[in-house]
Amino acid sequence: MTDASRNFIETYERERAALPGAGLAWLGVRRAEALKAFAEAGLPHRRLEDWRYTDLSRALGNATLSTAPLPDGAVVLPDATKRPSVAAFHDIDRHVLVFVNGRLRSDLSGTKLPAGVTLMSLGDALNSTWARPLVETKVEAQAGNVIALNTALMRDGIGLHIARGAKLDRPLHLLFLANDDGASHVRNLVRLEEGAEATIFETHLDAGAKSYFADHVADVSLGKGATLTHVKIQDEAADAIHLASLTAELAASSKLSSFSLTLGAKLSRNQSFVTFKGEGAEAHVNGATALSGAQHGDHFCIVDHAVPNCSSATLFKTVLDGASTGVFQGKVIVRPDAQKTDGRQMTNALLLSRDAAMNAKPELEIYADDVQCAHGSTIGELNREAIFYLRSRGIDEPTARQLLISAFLDDAFETVPHEAARDDLRRLAESWFERHQEKTA
Amino acid sequence: MLEIKNLHVAVDGKEILKGIDLTVEAGKVHAIMGPNGSGKSTLSYVLAGRDGYEVTEGSVTYKGRDLLAMNVDERAAAGVFLAFQYPIEIPGVTTMTFLRTALNAQRKARGEDELDAPRFLKLVREKSKPLNVTDDMLKRALNVGFSGGEKKRAEILQMALLEPSLAILDETDSGLDIDALKVVAEGVNTLRSPERAMVVITHYQRLLDYIVPDVIHVLSKGRIVRTGGKELAGELERTGYAEFAA
Repeated sequence: MTDASRNFIETYERERAALPGAGLAWLGVRRAEALKAFAEAGLPHRRLEDWRYTDLSRALGNATLSTAPLPDGAVVLPDATKRPSVAAFHDIDRHVLVFVNGRLRSDLSGTKLPAGVTLMSLGDALNSTWARPLVETKVEAQAGNVIALNTALMRDGIGLHIARGAKLDRPLHLLFLANDDGASHVRNLVRLEEGAEATIFETHLDAGAKSYFADHVADVSLGKGATLTHVKIQDEAADAIHLASLTAELAASSKLSSFSLTLGAKLSRNQSFVTFKGEGAEAHVNGATALSGAQHGDHFCIVDHAVPNCSSATLFKTVLDGASTGVFQGKVIVRPDAQKTDGRQMTNALLLSRDAAMNAKPELEIYADDVQCAHGSTIGELNREAIFYLRSRGIDEPTARQLLISAFLDDAFETVPHEAARDDLRRLAESWFERHQEKTA
Repeated sequence: MLEIKNLHVAVDGKEILKGIDLTVEAGKVHAIMGPNGSGKSTLSYVLAGRDGYEVTEGSVTYKGRDLLAMNVDERAAAGVFLAFQYPIEIPGVTTMTFLRTALNAQRKARGEDELDAPRFLKLVREKSKPLNVTDDMLKRALNVGFSGGEKKRAEILQMALLEPSLAILDETDSGLDIDALKVVAEGVNTLRSPERAMVVITHYQRLLDYIVPDVIHVLSKGRIVRTGGKELAGELERTGYAEFAA
């Protein structure tokens, strides 16, 4: 066992009485079980098939990260001209909740919600009857085991409950800032009852911290005909480690659209576990990644078609420069009863440098016969002919490259249903390229 | 306008152009004819500045400047335009975005104002109409799914918009039926002007019925073997390239 693993176990022993929901018997059992499972398995490493290309155990190594404290007073945001992610979603009329080191800063957050929408801290959510099944969501895949670490140590987060037919009037923006080099374990619980609708934005940024571990889990449950749009921007510090798992259960005719833009962190891993529980539901799990230097970014996605007549589409686009590494591991499972499934999965990577590497492992596991499934993976480089053609019309080389990279990523952005958010993502991708050009120039 | 002296060009160590001398004055249209493999496309690419074409000897002067010392986009901004034989498909970049980026890049390089969206749109519409370039084509990704004729019309639209001083048309007639050829030729003829020089590269005399050149050169095995007036095209049509290929 690594020092990092041992450290997490000690943190649990030391702090469990102070963790939210400490008085709840079911949760106490749940946390203890989770800790036991974590203590047995340790941090995930490359010998596990689901972690074949990403070694979290090694990345955390012997770091003994204490729990990052909740600071008082002002938190200084990075300069928006250098870190455009700071300004993402700002022009959109939205509710904002600010988290510092994974803890809700209610003084920096203020919001008035419409009827039927209940937004609370994780601690309050854990006391609500709707939250327990979410915390107890089962993930069969090996990749899901790491959620146990979060379950044992989850300290803050939100609970969002939207009553039947109610609608979150404006997007809810969760802004996660890190200003301490410690570990944070955030759990967000989201339940949309029948026909409810919500849009959630997430931004993950450093605000003073350099080398930290952000561990996020979101459990989502969509009732019949509910619609959730989720857009996430991960732009953590260059030495940070970001781990995020999303579990989503979709009832009949519900719709999930989740998009993730990955720009930051030394090592990041986004996991999505989507399960169809009722017919006629739809899931879109998409993302765009742009990395440079020695960054490592991993997307892992399992879509489980457990019932008939559902459709899923997954598209991940990755741009890699320097000696960065990208990973896509995805699986579409079609269970024996899940006839008329429409499952699509695509990953495309663009390598801008000889030292960059992409690992892609898309899989289909189909047990039903009347289905439409397709998957594909491409890894390539910028088309030199295309660059010459653009330059022959007077477009300079950096602009030509930027046009082609933007065009490459655009299919992924196109999947984001929220137009203004989509424009922000496009701008961020463009500024990534501009900033990046300066660095390499 | 353009002065090529003793130009030798090698590709992968193999000499393709073996001493080209060519002078093109403003206001003139020169045609370069020749059989396949004579070096016609090599000449057009080396003038546009494509990678992989090594100039081993000679010089190219354009408006008094050393063209070969300029990079690809500098040449374009200085007014050199190559209409490609096979225009490149660029998925994800709409024709409209591409045209605007190109035009504004050139204007910027020349120290002129960039055109805003409404002024640009008006200009594109005006130039598109005679070439039958529809709004639908402008909204589509550049050259992606365009027919042969659409691609060539899009090339001429770019030329009309960018208003180059020196236009090189590489086999612009290839893959066109007679109606499409007429539209393209009409577009090219509209752009003829006393300030502009054109080099029309073609295998067939057919294009020259519609774009009538001032001078015709015959290129064979990397050398200009004959130069004459427009009547040379008709002669070649009757005799073919046999005497030059031998």
